[in-house]
Amino acid sequence: MAAPPTRPPEKFLTIAEMMNISDAEARRRMEMLEFGHDDEARLRAVSDLAERYATDVIDAIYRHLLHFPEMQAFFPTRELLERVKGQQREYFLRLTQGNYDMGYVENRLSIGAIHERINLPMKFYLAMYNFYLREVGNRLMDEYRDDPKQALETLLSLMKLTFFDMELAIDTYIDARERTIRALQQEAIRELSTPVLPFRQGMLLLPIIGQIDSPRARQLTEHLLESIRTNRAKVVVIDITGVATVDSRVANHLVQTIDAARLMGAHVIVSGISPVIALTMVTLGIDLGRVVTVGDMQSGIERAESLLQEAGDEGEGPAEA
Amino acid sequence: MVPTPEPIRAQIPIASDADVMLARQKGRELAAFLGLAAGDLTLVATAISEVARNIVQYARPGEIELRTITEGGRRGLMIVARDSGPGIADVTLAMQDGYSTSRGMGLGLPGSRRLMDAFEIQSEVGKGTVVTMIKWER
Amino acid sequence: MQVPILKQGPYLIASIQGALTDADLMQLRENLVQAVRRHRSRGVVIDVTVLDVMDSFAARTLRSIATMTRLLGARTVIVGIQPEIAFSMVQLGLTLEDTLTSLDLEDGLAMLKAAERGRDADGPHS
Repeated sequence: MAAPPTRPPEKFLTIAEMMNISDAEARRRMEMLEFGHDDEARLRAVSDLAERYATDVIDAIYRHLLHFPEMQAFFPTRELLERVKGQQREYFLRLTQGNYDMGYVENRLSIGAIHERINLPMKFYLAMYNFYLREVGNRLMDEYRDDPKQALETLLSLMKLTFFDMELAIDTYIDARERTIRALQQEAIRELSTPVLPFRQGMLLLPIIGQIDSPRARQLTEHLLESIRTNRAKVVVIDITGVATVDSRVANHLVQTIDAARLMGAHVIVSGISPVIALTMVTLGIDLGRVVTVGDMQSGIERAESLLQEAGDEGEGPAEA
Repeated sequence: MVPTPEPIRAQIPIASDADVMLARQKGRELAAFLGLAAGDLTLVATAISEVARNIVQYARPGEIELRTITEGGRRGLMIVARDSGPGIADVTLAMQDGYSTSRGMGLGLPGSRRLMDAFEIQSEVGKGTVVTMIKWER
Repeated sequence: MQVPILKQGPYLIASIQGALTDADLMQLRENLVQAVRRHRSRGVVIDVTVLDVMDSFAARTLRSIATMTRLLGARTVIVGIQPEIAFSMVQLGLTLEDTLTSLDLEDGLAMLKAAERGRDADGPHS
């Protein structure tokens, strides 16, 4: 399972890289939004104004959103709310500071990732941006009352940038969903390819057929242990009649699986050990310890039955580790 | 000023019991964030616990650094445990893995190696030790 | 974090509530030994269902609890080891030899009762 590496890779992985958002991709998005140097200049020009109104705007946003009980749930304490507002303030000030490079992208992605992890609904995000734009629109009209065109153009620049931000936020949510789906798929595949059969109450049957390599052994073990838990199994019959070769690695996987099953209170019976395999294991110095070994699966099942009956089928009886 | 993205990396000083716990919780979090298999999160936390404990017992203070890395398109969590403690005189001996013959005793370093996908240890007597481990996504 | 110890007839039940530091584990051992002595308990169930990690120190400490309580006439059962924990323990070579284990609290208590009825053998059960 663990092969010693030659030299561990030194490359840091940024969130943007994790999500395949390259510099080229970021530029493309800016192009599509038609966000250019003029826009950046307009935004920088209002950064002082932004400093002045930031706190009021944030307060207004939260006053609005905290009317909704599902939003209140995210801010159980006053301190948390104040802390988040502070972070929000930083977030919005960043919009007018220029330098919308990969550092900016990375920053936006990391915030999106945190929000996704705490299950902040997308509607909250979008409502927040929307409110912000409207608030700022009004303030720009005030500030540039003698030059409404300037106000409008600045607002439009801001709108382009917030759309850029929203795309990144949505990316983080999609990425998380995709990872979840992939994990579920892998789980399903694993279950299908490593059959653990609930033979009857308290007994599991695990017929292993074919080669066992490390990844498969891992899957088998995981699946078995999960099944022991869900089925509250007391006895497991692992049948290795169909296992092609038993070398030291396979034997070790088997021993580990048996040991792990015992830790969960299940007895293990190994069936299907041919005389040849028995000899191999002795030669390798593999000690199955107190594991019952029998010739074939049928005997294994019978043995398991008697064990269960002895234990009274009521969860009694020793399963000494 | 753009704050450094928080979730991608962590550095935890290790000098006490409580630090060991913090390190393994952070490790679990970061592994989860990275999208590592659910069954691997405990392995990561356990390996961190083992190496962090070694630091507390023999070589404090030290640190555990957690980083997300990539290689050939897949993602992984790298754990680096560093200390400037006494170092290990015979690394080969310390890393001897006799699982079938010494079951039950708890093997520390060799055990941690088995929990992880990649493992490297460098140690110099009088200078300190660096253990580097990686868990890849499946 | 203090681990609560409940008395249920002749048995004691210690339910671990979350992550434990080394000091917590040693305190648990101390408390259990005292409690076994005080109540002349005949069995101890340690429930590790919610334990986040079982590393070599935790495993050693649990085994020593089993040994010490045995000297005081009580058997100890560890219950609630979760699949991922069981797997990682085995990778670390922590098989809790000579220590009783069971799936959960219910099974653990049943095991203690059965052991008392003298059905438990000291050697391998096959």
